[in-house]
Amino acid sequence: MLKKAYDWIDERLNVTPLWRDVADHDVPAHVNPAVKMSAFVYCFGGLTFLVITTQILSGMFLAMYYTPDITNAWYSVQYITNEVLLGEVVRGMHFWGASLCIIMMFLHMLRVFFTGAYKAPREMNWVVGVLIFFVVLAFGFTGYLLPWNQKAYWATAVGTQIAGSIPLIGPYIQTLLVGSHTVGALTLTRFFAIHVFFLPAALLVLLALHFIMIRSQHIAGPL
Amino acid sequence: MAGGERIPGTPRYRHHLLKNPGTEPFFPNFLLKEWIVGAVFLLAFMLWVMFNPVPDGGGLANPQDTSFIPVPDWYFLFLYQILKYYPGSDITIGVVLVPFIGTLLLIAVPWLDIQKSRHPYKRPLATGGIVLATLLTIWLTNEAAVQHNAEVAAANGGGALSAGLVQLPKIPASQIHLVDTSDPGYKIFESQCATCHGQSAEGQIGPPIYAIGAHWNYNQILSFVNKGMGAMPPKGGLTSESQVEQVVKWLSKQKG
Repeated sequence: MLKKAYDWIDERLNVTPLWRDVADHDVPAHVNPAVKMSAFVYCFGGLTFLVITTQILSGMFLAMYYTPDITNAWYSVQYITNEVLLGEVVRGMHFWGASLCIIMMFLHMLRVFFTGAYKAPREMNWVVGVLIFFVVLAFGFTGYLLPWNQKAYWATAVGTQIAGSIPLIGPYIQTLLVGSHTVGALTLTRFFAIHVFFLPAALLVLLALHFIMIRSQHIAGPL
Repeated sequence: MAGGERIPGTPRYRHHLLKNPGTEPFFPNFLLKEWIVGAVFLLAFMLWVMFNPVPDGGGLANPQDTSFIPVPDWYFLFLYQILKYYPGSDITIGVVLVPFIGTLLLIAVPWLDIQKSRHPYKRPLATGGIVLATLLTIWLTNEAAVQHNAEVAAANGGGALSAGLVQLPKIPASQIHLVDTSDPGYKIFESQCATCHGQSAEGQIGPPIYAIGAHWNYNQILSFVNKGMGAMPPKGGLTSESQVEQVVKWLSKQKG
């Protein structure tokens, strides 16, 4: 039955070559924790992706209640935390997941570095990984303002001032981020737009490149 | 990526050829094991989330309150700390030069370390470099946290953080939903405390306390009320201990 359904789709969409590229390959013994326990370090990248997935999902559910304007943002976050069913858990996942994502990504980077996995032919994948790292930091910076509480407001006020102190282009970057003379209504709207539209688009493209390169360059041999 | 057409009669995935022991097909064998790792990880993550509520961010943003000491998220602390070492006109070095060189070094890693060998012991310069960079980052992060904590303690008069009342934002009384207003504790509150704190505990002469239970537990509120502070007399002007206990019991239910 399942096979028939697959064949029916395969005849029309020719998914088998795609399926082969994605899933039909052998995993070498040295990255298999079932063979050697210490190979769990090779899981850090996959776990980072798992955290990113939970961030996307929890963020989607938070967006159902969150209101990105200065009069309602703080109250909508209070509402999510105190009134919405499991709202506290979803918000907690998004909040703690941000830190966990950074930690797992850092561990993944250290593993790649210590195993020399960035060496030819994988240089491009390292560069894409570094770009992913910066995008994730940008997620942290823009997400911090959204609850519109004291900590968020003042950290962003200082952060955008620091950006403004860059010579020549600083004031332009500050205006681009803040949207007006002081951190306020426009800043919140901009940070929200960057956090939920611009950065996810960039992240998904970079992740796709990262994964395609892992498949086409294969996993590096054992040390 | 290998593209091409599906050749009729060929298997959809390679059959398990045990040429190298330990290798196995990615799908479904390896992926199922990965899912177990993921499930354990997710369970630990969820347990952490359940037992660690999101820390309070100091209430609704107030651009007038310049006394608030800002601090970035922990993962930006190392950058923040670097800035402190380049005050005044040197700020360009801290804001642009140091981060730019750091970024460039990180991106250029594959071209800086061009040795063929991959084992960390066989390339001591690269391994030493990343270990040093990691230790430096951890040290900078810790240094920034220590300095920030000292600043906050100094601003609160030498670490007397818990002595001050939690600052709740002022919101209209109509938006406050008090819990259990039939409680005898509320009747006492209404007659004694509401003169200063308002009928809905929204704050008038005294500060707003409508959600005090979200920040302090029964014992914390009790000790504060018993001691009093500033214009607030000890026991809040109540005459008997049982009255205080009833009011505090009711207050601790108010979670906003």
